[in-house]
Amino acid sequence: MKKFFLVILCLAVVSSVFIFAGGGKEKTVDEASIAWLKEAKLGKYVENSFDEKALYEAAKLEGSVNIYSYSSRVFKFGETFEKKYPGIKVNGFDMDSGEIVTKISAEQTAQNFVADVIFLKDVAVAYNVLVDKGLAHNYVPADLKKVVPKEYQEPMFVHHTSIQGFVYNTEKNKKEPFNSLWDLTKPEWKGKVVLPDPQKLSEFIEIYSGIVENADSLAKEYEKVFKEKIKLSAGIKNAGYEWLYRVLKNDAIIVGSTNDVSKAVGLSQQDVPPVGLTAYSRIRDMEKDPNLKFAFTENTTPVSGFSLNVVQLIVNRAPHPNAAKLLIHYMLGDEKGGEGYEPYYVAGNFSVRTDVPPIKGLKPITEMKVWSASPEFVWYEGQQVLDFWTSNLK
Amino acid sequence: MIKEKSAGIKNTGSLRAKAGRVRNYLRQPHVIMSILLLLILTFLVIIPILKMFYTTFVWQLEDTRLSRAAEPGRFTLFHWKRVFASVLSDTMLWTPLKNSILTGLGVSFFALLIGIFLAWLVARSDIPFRKLIAAAAVIPYMVPSYIHALSWLTLFKNERVGGVSGIFQYLTGIIPPDWVSYGIFPIIITLSLHYFPYSFLLVSAALTSIDSRLEESGEILGATRGYILRRITLPLVMPAILSSFILTFSRTLGVFGTPYFLGSPVRFFTLPTQIYSSINNRNSASGFILAFVLIGISSIIIYINQKTVGERKSFVTIGGKGFVVSRTPLGKYKYYILPVVFFIILVSAVLPILLLTFETISLYPGNYSLKNLTPLFWFGKGGTTFAEGEAGILRNPAILRTAWNSIRLAVISSIFAGFLGIFIGYAVVKGRKERLPKLLEQISFLPYLVPGIAFGALYLALFTQRIGPIPALYGTFTLLVLINAAKELPFSSRAGVTSMLQIGAELEEASEIAGARWGKRFRKIILPLSIKSAVSGFILVFITVMRELALVILLVTPKTRTLTTMTFRYQEQGYAQFSSAISLLVVIIIFAGSYIAKTITKTGEKD
Repeated sequence: MKKFFLVILCLAVVSSVFIFAGGGKEKTVDEASIAWLKEAKLGKYVENSFDEKALYEAAKLEGSVNIYSYSSRVFKFGETFEKKYPGIKVNGFDMDSGEIVTKISAEQTAQNFVADVIFLKDVAVAYNVLVDKGLAHNYVPADLKKVVPKEYQEPMFVHHTSIQGFVYNTEKNKKEPFNSLWDLTKPEWKGKVVLPDPQKLSEFIEIYSGIVENADSLAKEYEKVFKEKIKLSAGIKNAGYEWLYRVLKNDAIIVGSTNDVSKAVGLSQQDVPPVGLTAYSRIRDMEKDPNLKFAFTENTTPVSGFSLNVVQLIVNRAPHPNAAKLLIHYMLGDEKGGEGYEPYYVAGNFSVRTDVPPIKGLKPITEMKVWSASPEFVWYEGQQVLDFWTSNLK
Repeated sequence: MIKEKSAGIKNTGSLRAKAGRVRNYLRQPHVIMSILLLLILTFLVIIPILKMFYTTFVWQLEDTRLSRAAEPGRFTLFHWKRVFASVLSDTMLWTPLKNSILTGLGVSFFALLIGIFLAWLVARSDIPFRKLIAAAAVIPYMVPSYIHALSWLTLFKNERVGGVSGIFQYLTGIIPPDWVSYGIFPIIITLSLHYFPYSFLLVSAALTSIDSRLEESGEILGATRGYILRRITLPLVMPAILSSFILTFSRTLGVFGTPYFLGSPVRFFTLPTQIYSSINNRNSASGFILAFVLIGISSIIIYINQKTVGERKSFVTIGGKGFVVSRTPLGKYKYYILPVVFFIILVSAVLPILLLTFETISLYPGNYSLKNLTPLFWFGKGGTTFAEGEAGILRNPAILRTAWNSIRLAVISSIFAGFLGIFIGYAVVKGRKERLPKLLEQISFLPYLVPGIAFGALYLALFTQRIGPIPALYGTFTLLVLINAAKELPFSSRAGVTSMLQIGAELEEASEIAGARWGKRFRKIILPLSIKSAVSGFILVFITVMRELALVILLVTPKTRTLTTMTFRYQEQGYAQFSSAISLLVVIIIFAGSYIAKTITKTGEKD
């Protein structure tokens, strides 16, 4: 019996070493990182001009660049990049934005530096978990500073803005089937609104946060639609939460992917098709499946959609910083769109470059009625929005 | 414990005798083995779980989003209050918990019913097509479980989630009610069809190793069939049945995909959804607490199991004498039973695979005309106008590389886990009444109860840095092998225990008397006899590792990624065909793998 406990005791001691070892994960910029920043000319040591030739020469010595991307289109611009800059191989890897943040944190702790560039959504987390802690650095090529508005340069360089909007079935509806966001809380839409699940798709936390952040506009809109002042339900803070609450109470259908939304709404031969909220880029699904027939609303009040920023960053102590800079510059394309930006030059995306014209037949983003949530708001309120959602899933 | 103490007092005088006893105790092979195994399991299981517990009491960086009072690194009860006593508790914990338990019990019941029924038919009856049935009965588990859910929707979808209604409504004109289309009913059916192979494999292995003469002696003594079944056969296979119950129940508790797929349209959520969501949103602490709730439930089940099996006399069925298996003639009943069996095979194995295959060769999904068929998702050349220039998966070097990586991982992990299992089985069975082996058995089961995503998050937190002599393992292949072997220990150790239980001690004792050393005894007697059961454990692990997603998703790096982690990319692009093709490739690899494993170990064995 004593032997038994002795064995257990030994194991307990060994175990505790492991468990408490990982405690202080927070990390300030250490000396190795400062040296690397100097060497890579990043942070406050960044160059004042963009010398493509010099960068290419330096990048050729590095030979390759690793990019973690939220989007599979990384393979497209990777391929054209390799053609334009022979001798530099692009290793693109696609994963969820959340996964990218988790992996970069892990790589930094393990000092196992793999990724050079990260390309992701969920800017609130990217800023607070990575940039603010010195685990990733912002980089704006000097020559782009004049064509990109300031707000897209700091604190993180935005690549493009993507739109998520409301869709309806065009086979059954000649015109947009609802006019206001509040219409979706009415009995006629009971069980007929398909929403992506923020428990599964974290970018929708940002979108639902946008709704809460714009509570005042929703309160005004309510008065317009129902001709009376909004009465908030018990325990609810504002009109934004009230909208979420009522839509959920109206038996909204929750699905796990934006793909499921466009299929639920868009498939032909439905008697009473629902409406839904999905990524604008799903419009391309109609080419992949001729049975899909849907369109995005344009006249919904107060807004017909939401915008999300996508950012690119250079990872702290990345092994190929010069190639990383060259790649980021390439990804922003040129004034016509350009090869590097081409995979993203599609309906629903808007370049941050003021010199790139919007897609033919589409309004520029400044004229679109969309909301975006500020990163600070998402960071401090986003989890509570998610909790609110979860607690109302009855 | 008290008894031991008083015995110790009595013996204070004879230190020498005591030392001798310790030496003898430590000399027993199974004790040495237990201690070694305990060390390994501490590293693989205990430490991660303690770390998990510790994390729940400490403010995390992400908590600053939830509470202004959060100070990362300091002690707090915040997470426990959040889960157990907040407005969230109802929808985050209690309702999903109830749903999980109901699902778990329902699935266990039906899966065991099907599994045991088929196992008995194959092992003990004269039903025709036995080989075919045996082969087909394992297939459902090889198919990704979401395929069963998908098939269900193809058949019974109603208008609730929009889109096109199912075949049932098309044929009959009757709209299936919501409870048929979504929620607990289809979840239980599809998961039962997916998980019955557990009980089939374990019970049929146990049944084939029972000497029929045990039953025949009952018959000679005048016992009725029912009596023999109740008093002889059933007790002999009881350990296998209970093992399969535990495996099925715990697995169902932890499964995320199918319940989410079929449940979310009617807001039927289970605990894993909440765990996944918490960890995915980097709120690991809450997720870990929910994981502990799952662990708690399953621990209760195991405790009950140990009370039942542990205190029952164990039965030795592989003795030193000859061995006979006789089959019960079914007579005219086989004309009723056979269609039932074929129906089970049809819906659990054939239909899902057909559906999956069909999807990979459909140019546009859901179009059933011949013109719509295309081989391009498999064999298409890259850089054409087809599929935005994406090459077919068999021509895509990245996919082929990843496929090879997956195979390597599955084989190495299952061999590693398989041997660990046999050793654990030996230690546990030899030391049945002792504390150490018992502890070993309990620990080896723990990882099974930790949902994959939580286990992955823990390994990520633990092994990203160098700890003492162990280098930072993040990003290595080794880490993937370790986590897979650890997670699948319950399979392999159960298989190990089940097979060891049936090997008579007289076999080993005889060779011991003949002078064989332990190493030789183990190699020449224990290993060959246990290999058949162990191989079923090996195959189960191989299959699971091949299909595993949540467990490794946080740990794979671009260099170590596995096939299943690639499906996400194509789903995002809206090409279900590519992701289905990868799933089918996984199924094919699994088929090939289990066939090879069976052929290798079949040498010298009679049917």
